[in-house]
Amino acid sequence: MPTLVLKVKRMSELLGREVTVEELERIVPWLGVDIEDVGSDYIKIEYNPNRPDFSSQEGIARALKGFMEIETGLPKYTVNPGPVVLKVDPSVRPVRPWIVCGVVRGLKLDEERIMEIIEMEEALDWAIGRDRAVSSIGLHNLDAVKPPFKYHAVWPDEIRFVPLDMDVEMTPKEILRVHPKGVAYRRILEGAERYPIITDCDGNVLSFPPIINGALTRVTEDTRNIFIELTGTRLEAIFAALNILVTAFAEMGGRLESVAVEYTDQVLVTPNLSPSRWMLNVKSANKLLGLKLKPEQVAKCLEKMRLGVESVGEELLVLVPAYRHDIMHNVDLIEEVAIGYGYFNLEPTFPSTVTIAAENSTQKLSNKLRMIMIGFGFTEVINFTLANYKEHFEYMMVKGDPVRILNPVSAEYDILRSSLLPCLLKVFGNNKHEPLPQMIFEVGDVIVLDDEAETGARRILHLAGAIMHSEANFTEIKSVAEGVLREIDVQDYVFKATDHPSFIPGRCAEVKVRGNHIGVVGEIHPKVLNNFELEYPVGAFEYDLQFILERE
Amino acid sequence: MNVGIVTVAEGRVYNLSLSLKELREVEVKVLRFLAERGEKSRLSDILAETGLEHAAVVKSLAWLEDKGLVSIESIKLEYLSLTDEGKRYASSGFPERILLSFLVEKGGEATLKDVFEAGILPESIVNIAIGWARRKGWIDVLKTDGKTTLRVLSPSPTRGSDEVLLVFLWEKDRVKRSELPEELAPAIDLLYKRNLLEKQSETEILAQITSSGIKVLESGVEVDEGVSLLTPDLIRTQAWRNVKLRRFNVEAPVKPVYPGKLHPVVQLINEIREIFLSIGFEEIRGPLVESAFWNFDALFTPQDHPAREMHDTFYLKKPSIVKLPDEGLVYRVAKTHENGWETGSKGWGYTWNAELAQQAILRTHTTATTIRHLAEHRTPPVKVFSVDRVYRNERVDYKHLAEFHQIEGIIVDKNVTLRDLMGVLREFYWKLGVKKVQFWPSFFPYTEPSIQSTVYVEKYKAWVELCGAGIFRPEVTVPLGVKIPVLAWGGGFERIAMLRLGLDDIRDLYRNSLGWLRQIPVIL
Repeated sequence: MPTLVLKVKRMSELLGREVTVEELERIVPWLGVDIEDVGSDYIKIEYNPNRPDFSSQEGIARALKGFMEIETGLPKYTVNPGPVVLKVDPSVRPVRPWIVCGVVRGLKLDEERIMEIIEMEEALDWAIGRDRAVSSIGLHNLDAVKPPFKYHAVWPDEIRFVPLDMDVEMTPKEILRVHPKGVAYRRILEGAERYPIITDCDGNVLSFPPIINGALTRVTEDTRNIFIELTGTRLEAIFAALNILVTAFAEMGGRLESVAVEYTDQVLVTPNLSPSRWMLNVKSANKLLGLKLKPEQVAKCLEKMRLGVESVGEELLVLVPAYRHDIMHNVDLIEEVAIGYGYFNLEPTFPSTVTIAAENSTQKLSNKLRMIMIGFGFTEVINFTLANYKEHFEYMMVKGDPVRILNPVSAEYDILRSSLLPCLLKVFGNNKHEPLPQMIFEVGDVIVLDDEAETGARRILHLAGAIMHSEANFTEIKSVAEGVLREIDVQDYVFKATDHPSFIPGRCAEVKVRGNHIGVVGEIHPKVLNNFELEYPVGAFEYDLQFILERE
Repeated sequence: MNVGIVTVAEGRVYNLSLSLKELREVEVKVLRFLAERGEKSRLSDILAETGLEHAAVVKSLAWLEDKGLVSIESIKLEYLSLTDEGKRYASSGFPERILLSFLVEKGGEATLKDVFEAGILPESIVNIAIGWARRKGWIDVLKTDGKTTLRVLSPSPTRGSDEVLLVFLWEKDRVKRSELPEELAPAIDLLYKRNLLEKQSETEILAQITSSGIKVLESGVEVDEGVSLLTPDLIRTQAWRNVKLRRFNVEAPVKPVYPGKLHPVVQLINEIREIFLSIGFEEIRGPLVESAFWNFDALFTPQDHPAREMHDTFYLKKPSIVKLPDEGLVYRVAKTHENGWETGSKGWGYTWNAELAQQAILRTHTTATTIRHLAEHRTPPVKVFSVDRVYRNERVDYKHLAEFHQIEGIIVDKNVTLRDLMGVLREFYWKLGVKKVQFWPSFFPYTEPSIQSTVYVEKYKAWVELCGAGIFRPEVTVPLGVKIPVLAWGGGFERIAMLRLGLDDIRDLYRNSLGWLRQIPVIL
């Protein structure tokens, strides 16, 4: 996740009064921002995905001014009508249909500010833009090109221009093949016949969104006037990113100007920074928070959060600034009230909800089984249900059809286990240096495919136990396996000779209860022992105990 | 007959009035053997000469030493032997020797390429051979025109002490360090560093009779008639009245035994379950193989949310698709994503795709199960919890596991509040033994307002994030038919377990090291 550095000097400038590292460290978390690191003259904060407007020092300072009561209520921004026009050609519809724009004039940039702008751009492309797929930002030196601009789609080899970070002309197709940004983002344009391009009235290329800008409009320390364009697949998202960006520029001292974006069927004049209007019922806010605030107090909390409140009564008319992308529902305003009130002021209470506790039957049975196994002197182990096909089937010399993972990050896990025994043998393998005898057991889930089940698989309670020492044998483990059944009050069981590839022929029994197979007990086959690199005989059993739960 | 003996044990001096009758047969035999020998005797010699059992002799020596009749000394002995690699070198010769003979054969010079192509040594060994041959001054390495040439400086060097030692050990198999010819000693480290030689240490016990021991023998020894084992026969016939039951050294150390035990993780999970149960919560359990619908969509997580990406979530090849619940619910969830439906929300403003919701995954949080339960239990009050397995497609390291446990609880009731949620969390931590708790604003996609709770950990002298909490968004609850607040909180179990067990590596929780499991005390 991206981070943002808040410098004490810059924050003091923006807040209009001196702040210290300690002060920032104390106050910033009350806004719901996590601190990652604290330095001598800065704090580093984690990016909050809910608050993309916190992607710049300006954005944080704007919120802090409210919280610290330096300046409360709705921040005011003016957007002057501007002369710049951008025409949208219908050819972009299949690939990247939406674009909005803006102009900022009179900026004074230095290296530090440019770095900050780039970081903000990247954070917004990542968070709102879903790594540029949904929206992406392009910033340009307005004075290097000539409006009206045009947003249209071109064939992969139709035009040539010099992209940023290169000094030769390339076609869009070449950029996608060799330019680092082309390689990084070409998946977004996968399958597109034609690619989106923004050009000026002379055909100069401003941008090849969402991949790379042209070198012609590079923003430098000398740039005074910036042309902003945001393209994407969701109008909502690009509006949000545009508003956050231009209000941050305004906080830096830029003058905002609108652009007329002409679609064939409509004209969008952007940016539009008029606040959205919400009604908040004071009673419902108090009820959810457990407070008894008066309407004026609620209004004050909201104003500390930089929201505007127009009429104060039982119903508040709340103005939400255009950069607050995250306000979707009334509850979001109620949270604003809580943060404005201060979480530190909320005294915990205990709810009076009376209910009767109930233990889950599987958990309850699992614990009983554990007690039995401990009584037999076995030590409990816990393994992951994520498992490895080779160990669970090839090593055990059996075949099976387990739940399979599509995208494992490590080759170690490619299935979910459908049996516990391989896990126990692996535990023995990892404990070869420990004194013998070793007696271990596991009570836990196995997962089996089941077309009848709602999710196509079921979790089933299994119990397995295993003994390893130089004289481990069948009768020893059968005594335990039989003892377990006795303890859980299963009387009608039979041990029936069977051949199972994991066990020595003639030393394996299947266990049946009223004709139903519930498990096996036996001496592990030496080939299996070799597979797990074990050097002593192992007696083991495994039961499916789901039927006990269904019996009850 | 009694002999007064002053003996020193564990720093205390006391008088012992010892009856010779208390000496058992074994002890008498050992004492006599040592008296005959006079000098220090090895345990192995005592065993060989007396023919007594190892355990019996060791026990007797301890008893005799305790009584001051013999003195015991243990000395550490170092044995040297070859590793498997060492044995290979001993039979085939050192790789640098093999390299040297090859170069001599080639007329005293060859390129590196020649050496590789000749296949005289495994490729992985060639560089080692060159390194040593050069260090020993046998060859020189020249680089010209990008070619590496090896030239012989000393065509038939005498065998170095390392080579002599290797052969010596090869012939003797295992040699006591003290019995090694002095001139070979410097080569030990040389071979050890090359991992050709192994050092094993053993303890040798030497025993010698003391003057008290001699006195006891001189005063005449009668073998103790006493018995160690109280047999059923002795009890039944009451013959025990006529025999002497030997006194045991009850202060002597014994062999450790370990009970069967619950895994510490299970002990802690049960402790947490008991906290929930003690405040009236019902325990729930749901599927591990889950649909994206219940894991994400029902929780208002937009379909392009990063958490849903392949590198965060395990998707399944089999089963690959999961049935969706009833159409009405799917419709309400879909519309809530698209435009907020009747929840009062703006929605996400995109077109919801049923196919993405049908994807089979391994649940990434237990909230998937909580929300299933909520869909079927809409009548308040509801208080349910779970401590159960969840999955994330992460590379495993000291901080991350791909499968772990999550603790989760919800309270559904008409008048519950954000302050109530704080109160429940505080109570929960209190019962876990954590007294200092703070609450902060936070963000989770499916709660609003949201809380992050941090607790103070003495060991780190720092605040640690434990549980996240919040009130479920109406976008989550209203499509299920729930219109009253749902307080929810949850967090990772493993972090709590690590703090309690004093572990720094999360993987240690699931290593199943029997040594650790046997030795770690039960969690009280």
